[in-house]
Amino acid sequence: MPAIQIPTQKWSGKVREVTLGATAADGGTRAKTVTVGGATTLPFLHFDGETPHAPVVAIEIQDRYPEDWSPILLEVWGDAAKDPASWAKAAEEKGADLIYLKFALNDDLSGDYARKIVRQVLDATGLPLIVFGPGQVEQDNDILVSVAEEGEGERLVLGVCEEKNYRTIVAAALAHGHLVDARTAMDVNLGKQLNILISDMGLPLDRIVMDPTTGALGYGMEYGYSVMERLRLAALQGDGMTQLPMLVTPGEETWRAKEARTDEGVPESWGDWTERAINWEVLTTSTLLESGADIVVLRHPESLKRVKGMINALMSH
Amino acid sequence: MKIIGENIHIISPKVKLAVKERDIKFFQNLAVKQVEAGADMLDLNIGPQKKMGHEIMPWLVKGVQEVVDVTLSLDTTNLSAIEAGLKVAKNQCIINSVSAEEARLAIVPPIAKKYNAKLIALTMGKGGIPVGSEERVNIALEKLIPMAMEIGLPMEDLLIDPLVLTVSGCQEYCPECVEAVRILKVAGDPPPMTNVGLSNVSSSVPHAMRPLINRVYCVMLMAAGVDYAIADPLDGDLKKFINIVNKRDDSTSLGKLVLALYDKTEAMDQLAADDVDMSDPEQVDIFKTAQILYNDIIYTDSYLRV
Repeated sequence: MPAIQIPTQKWSGKVREVTLGATAADGGTRAKTVTVGGATTLPFLHFDGETPHAPVVAIEIQDRYPEDWSPILLEVWGDAAKDPASWAKAAEEKGADLIYLKFALNDDLSGDYARKIVRQVLDATGLPLIVFGPGQVEQDNDILVSVAEEGEGERLVLGVCEEKNYRTIVAAALAHGHLVDARTAMDVNLGKQLNILISDMGLPLDRIVMDPTTGALGYGMEYGYSVMERLRLAALQGDGMTQLPMLVTPGEETWRAKEARTDEGVPESWGDWTERAINWEVLTTSTLLESGADIVVLRHPESLKRVKGMINALMSH
Repeated sequence: MKIIGENIHIISPKVKLAVKERDIKFFQNLAVKQVEAGADMLDLNIGPQKKMGHEIMPWLVKGVQEVVDVTLSLDTTNLSAIEAGLKVAKNQCIINSVSAEEARLAIVPPIAKKYNAKLIALTMGKGGIPVGSEERVNIALEKLIPMAMEIGLPMEDLLIDPLVLTVSGCQEYCPECVEAVRILKVAGDPPPMTNVGLSNVSSSVPHAMRPLINRVYCVMLMAAGVDYAIADPLDGDLKKFINIVNKRDDSTSLGKLVLALYDKTEAMDQLAADDVDMSDPEQVDIFKTAQILYNDIIYTDSYLRV
């Protein structure tokens, strides 16, 4: 058999390296930091260029017991889900690279409350922390400013930072040494535009992760995939304002999908509910990793295990 | 390249009002203004006008040709309005336009033939506008050109329009449209004429940024060989760029850059950083604009600031 020559492509651009979390040496309290980005090629094409940092997996925890979550998730996390500190610890034990703490929408959400929860989670885990508000402009502004103060120096990722509220959140990140999650709704032009607006405020590009949003398998995933692929191709072609690592939340999207959410009134041929739900989360996530996701946020520990297995296999070369 | 003045267009509230009030003076002034500014022809877009089109178009044609002696492009989907306009026109007209849909192809081109009019034919079938240049050219080769040959419409009267789409949202279409023009100009002997709606390239771009994008794209399309552009003759800088190309005027640094853009596009190459005087903001803006039109850098409303 003659040796096969794999055709390669040299790109001029490179994704920026972004480091989440800070250890004591850098003014934080994390046991370790996580660095993503740095790629000079498309995902996992090691023959084309360098991928110095593997994509990482965050596990989503919430500030209070998420009664609206699927019973499959509530069962697997058990009592841990009743307390954010225990939940963070459990997620770390299951092998998460990062903790993604999401504040659910609640009338009594306040800055002081958010501050208390973030402190508990920071004390419970040594992993870098991503903190998301409920995704409503006013509440996000209220709590994230307090969270930024409480987590001074920890290099948290603050989200959701979108066109409507980026000024407040970027100011908080600037003042207290954090990063932001720049979210736009599946649109390459608006995604790049938000990066420009944020960097115009003086936040260095290595403190922004781009969040192009996504949909689950069967619910718009292919659209999200195309947007991410386009952004990553632009980054590699040298478009500076797109050269940022990407964060997506396939866990949240997947567990909203009917296939994962329910076992009522579905055909028997759909098979075992738990296995189906996990497959949905893993398939959505693995597809998004192929389109350039650097940070994926998941919900089920078995999905975490399988996705980590895939990443490890594709990174070993 | 001939300029078809675009300013009589129903999308303008003033035009809409003047149609409603049958204010022929308004149209005569706008026609004279465009021709004096250098328009070779004038587009008359009256909208669909389903009920009154057959009265409005001949009224407008008669009024406009009282004050200017140029080719008029009758722009409406209402075929009876077009035919009524053709009946009263003194000069040869352009019918704007027909798509490649069978139903339209069956009825519009025979009218062009009957009245000895030119016909703008869009490379758009039932399935919408294809991204790729080759697919667009294929629509011309498989549908539009055979149609013209079948009814005996001369190639010089067939204006194939490969459809300019906006850089804000359809960016990948921009370089493909330039390539489509290039291929069309070598398709057949004689090749068909080509036409573009130039200003579409900056549709939904913030107002102040539109002219620069239009001008740079115009030079690229000229280099590909486009014959007609529906454009704004009142944009003096657009005319400046066109003159630089037509006269090969390299007496200024701007002229050198515009000619470099033209020559490189003609040679299927791209403007490069070393063609540009980076200390001159005008040149830098032209370079950045070329990069978004090549689809190399993603368009945003802030692209000139980055």
